[in-house]
Amino acid sequence: MKYTFNWSVLWTGQSGHWLLQGVLTTLEISALAWILALGLGILFGALRTVPFRIPRAVGTFYVEFFRNVPLLVWMFFWYFGVPPLLPRAMQDWLFNHGAEFWAGMFALGVYHGARFSEVIRSGIQAIPRTQMEASVAMGLTVPQAYRLVILPIALRLIVPPLTNETLNLLKNSSVALTISVAELTFQTRQIETYTAKAIEALTAGTLIYLVLCVSIASVMGWVERRVAIPGLIVRTG
Amino acid sequence: MRRMLTALLVGAFAGAFFVAPVAAENTLEKIARTGILTIGTRTGSPPFAYVNKNNEWVGFSIDLVEQGVIPEVSKKVGKPVKLEKKESTPPTRIPLLSSNAVDLIAGTMTDTPERRQSVDFSVTFFRTGAQLLVKKGSPIHGIQDIAGKRVAAQQGSTNAKIIREKVPTAQLREFPDQPSAFQALMQGQVDAYTNDGIQLAGLKAKAPNPGDLEVVGDFFSDEPYGMAMRKGETDFKAAVDTGLKGLIRSGKYFELYDKWFGPKGEVPYPMTATVRKFIEDQGKQ
Repeated sequence: MKYTFNWSVLWTGQSGHWLLQGVLTTLEISALAWILALGLGILFGALRTVPFRIPRAVGTFYVEFFRNVPLLVWMFFWYFGVPPLLPRAMQDWLFNHGAEFWAGMFALGVYHGARFSEVIRSGIQAIPRTQMEASVAMGLTVPQAYRLVILPIALRLIVPPLTNETLNLLKNSSVALTISVAELTFQTRQIETYTAKAIEALTAGTLIYLVLCVSIASVMGWVERRVAIPGLIVRTG
Repeated sequence: MRRMLTALLVGAFAGAFFVAPVAAENTLEKIARTGILTIGTRTGSPPFAYVNKNNEWVGFSIDLVEQGVIPEVSKKVGKPVKLEKKESTPPTRIPLLSSNAVDLIAGTMTDTPERRQSVDFSVTFFRTGAQLLVKKGSPIHGIQDIAGKRVAAQQGSTNAKIIREKVPTAQLREFPDQPSAFQALMQGQVDAYTNDGIQLAGLKAKAPNPGDLEVVGDFFSDEPYGMAMRKGETDFKAAVDTGLKGLIRSGKYFELYDKWFGPKGEVPYPMTATVRKFIEDQGKQ
């Protein structure tokens, strides 16, 4: 079997435009989902560590429910399962205004929010208990202690695992193609459809993901160095 | 850090090129060695290839391979050949073929000039055209009515491409498989679903309430179905073609057509006189 490579399919015709659109959609959906995930992660990660039973149970329920169902199922849930619960007029409006994008964003954000929660919980639990006790002794309430002392320290500790989860989130955004979100993987398949050059299209997609991920990793590396707490994290290299 | 990055990049490039297969043996030699013909086919495209109520993987395309292609290939390699089926979808079928994972795509693949640059096609074994599936009472009666409307298509299919070219204002939503696109139509995420007429007739026949759905519009494309194989496999292609032509000439093809598309078939879809003439001509080539 001989396969004739024809790399020019990647920049002739509409391919370049499609790839660019794909990259933009991937970045857009990932960025919004990341913000959502970080918000949910901080909220539920903190709830899982508070000294009150009911908020802790709520946090645990959120994490276990959302992280233990496959992301693909969540995509279908937000796209096929949620709209029928809304009034008919709202459904039509949504379907005409990118319902698939928002469903994909929620699926990604809520799923990764559960994973972010665990990362943030581990950061909080890495802080010596005396910090909390000292804060309360200073006259802070528990919410104030979290907001002013515990969370700022925890967030500075968890940058490395957060980077890991961020990269996962970006790559997982490709699952949204199952509900017709035209992101990067979708567009590489599109090129394959039009040109029947699968290896070229897949290679382009692979390299673009790699470049995106390596860029994010190096930005996060910079953040990590900037926010490291002297004395708490021993840096090598 | 820099050394790690370099290693990563080198690894990725090497990975990309390992995908390109460099097998020395041709398809017939491979079949002679293994005694197996592997086809890529569908699981949800009645009646061409689908899993039926008894959980059997059957269909018109599969029958054509079993009764036409397999005997001819067995004769060529001089020993009985077993059939193995693998799932293939529009986005995966060409990669599956190129990577030697399957030897023949026998499902619902349209023979197009672009695809001919990457794969070879057998003689045409079925002919249909794109139409639209809508809910009964829909204002859409054909491609002329879809401007501004939400239309689902299967990604990797020729139909999506045609809609994009002919009606760029339609809001195209492309799904990787038929069940999600159909679900989107049933729930109202989209107003219509475009695919080859015969596929839509198949979906309608299988739907819980076939009366609620309609296949509308004239064919807005010509979709000749062929079986695809790796390029330049002259001997294998000859065997596949001879097998299919034999079925047409002996009349067996029309019996099989009747079994699947006749009034009692899985998807009733009467053959027009033009199509019958066309298929008979394929047999004579």
